[in-house]
Amino acid sequence: MLQILIQGLLLSGLYALIAMGFTLIFSVGRVLNLAYGAYLLIGGYAYFYFSQQLGLPKIAGVMLAGVLGCVLGLLKYQLLVKRVQGVHSAVEIATLILAVVLQSAVVLIFGDSSKILLPIVPGVERVASAAIPYSNLVATIISWAILIGLYFFVRLTHTGRAMQAVSMDAKGAAISGIDANRINMITWGISGTLGAIGGVFFASYTQLYPGMWVAPLIIAVAVVIVGGIGSIIGTLVVAHIVGFMEIIVSSWNPELRGVFTMLLIILVLVLRPRGLFGREEIH
Amino acid sequence: MLEIQGLSAFYGRAQALFDVSLRAEKGEIIAVIGANGAGKSTLFDSVLGLTKTTGAVRLEGQDLTGQGSSEIVRRGVGYAPERFNLFPYMTVRDNLLVGAYTARGDIETNLEMVHALFPRLAERAGQETSTQSGGERQMVSLGRALMGSPRLLLVDEPTIGLAPKVCDEIAVVLRRLRDEFGLTVVIAEQNANFALSLASRVYVLESGRITAEGTAESLAKDEALAAAYFGH
Ligand SMILES: Nc1ncnc2c1ncn2[C@@H]1O[C@H](COP(=O)(O)OP(=O)(O)OP(=O)(O)O)[C@@H](O)[C@H]1O
Ligand SMILES: [Mg+2]
Repeated sequence: MLQILIQGLLLSGLYALIAMGFTLIFSVGRVLNLAYGAYLLIGGYAYFYFSQQLGLPKIAGVMLAGVLGCVLGLLKYQLLVKRVQGVHSAVEIATLILAVVLQSAVVLIFGDSSKILLPIVPGVERVASAAIPYSNLVATIISWAILIGLYFFVRLTHTGRAMQAVSMDAKGAAISGIDANRINMITWGISGTLGAIGGVFFASYTQLYPGMWVAPLIIAVAVVIVGGIGSIIGTLVVAHIVGFMEIIVSSWNPELRGVFTMLLIILVLVLRPRGLFGREEIH
Repeated sequence: MLEIQGLSAFYGRAQALFDVSLRAEKGEIIAVIGANGAGKSTLFDSVLGLTKTTGAVRLEGQDLTGQGSSEIVRRGVGYAPERFNLFPYMTVRDNLLVGAYTARGDIETNLEMVHALFPRLAERAGQETSTQSGGERQMVSLGRALMGSPRLLLVDEPTIGLAPKVCDEIAVVLRRLRDEFGLTVVIAEQNANFALSLASRVYVLESGRITAEGTAESLAKDEALAAAYFGH
């Protein structure tokens, strides 16, 4: 019981972080960023490269992965999204292709075998019959810190309120003197950072391999669909529903781990097409 | 203070404004009256740089043409649009704070001014605007525009759908903005009576063209106009 509680919390915090970066782009930029997984992939491999191949301190590896994710997000906005503005399906298809190209690049550089990431913080804590790696604990704590920071940033700063404003009424934001372009840049940067850091944590939670971005992308889509696009609180709550469901199901039969998540998506799509927390603006 | 010269505006290939020229002096209230589809909102959107235009818009001698809307707001233009364009799931207070995006140093004084003009907004500071009445939304919209420390205020159909009592309140506020704060105000209206009660000068906009202009008194005397816009 205690074991499920702890593992559930650890996994859920991570899912929340990953889903948050995804939902932010949809609510502010109205782009369903299917290539979001690319940030996770780049984050995971950047961490591997900096910390394990170059031997930099692990925390530097996490931060560099975040920076790279941020740069990637900014580049994607500047070079792609801004240019095909308004044609969302074009952006979505283009970015998805980009993610596949990136995956091939990763295979070329690092090979396609999976890699074990060394724990960010070594050591294991035994709770009841479960082994809880410190590494996962640290990942969850950092995820929570980022999410709480993001929540207050969005609610309390001028830039954060401007992000909400752009997501709720583009014309209202423009006549308030907000430059939507700048706000979009910031949002893509934050999203890339969250994705890349989420990727480091996800890869150390599971393993690092070129196809690792697919599963978390599906989780992110699930959380966002069920939680209501744009809701920070909704994202947090549903990340915990999904996380706990996975832990409970896999303690019973690991094969079924992802199945219930899919069933939940379909159930919610049928019953409440706008998600449990319902709207598209960040709040 | 505001000078619009030969302004034409386009939606794709459709032209909505044709060679519109008008001016407003500092501390003056003027009105643009016109029927549905005349181009009033297009005119205001164009001043904010939100449409494709040719011609010139100058504010205090500075050319606004070609500037982005955020720069235009920064230069001192406040806009209360006809459908308000509020942020529905933010509180009244946060809506006002977004209005202060370009005037962060003035938040305290401006918030005090807005609360003095609309005490209701202080009472309802924590309410989401999606749950507010039309009159309250109009107040938030005006308040948000004022939070940007504007010197020119554009108000699009402030009385539409509002009870006479609320219209009177809004009229009082617009007069105070002119008299106490020296703001220049441009009102767009179909309700010519409201416009004439406030404005010193009036422009008549028909199908995207200015067809008449003059002081409120002279236009009120014009029989044809009176029949078209005042219903008597
Ligand atoms: N986004 C748009 N795309 C295409 N045409 C538009 C658009 N907005 C307005 N128009 C057209 O431009 C003309 C002027 O419209 P506008 O909204 O400026 O009129 P208005 O005087 O504000 O009318 P109302 O009193 O109904 O608000 C109309 O013919 C309208 O159909
Ligand atoms: Mg209009």
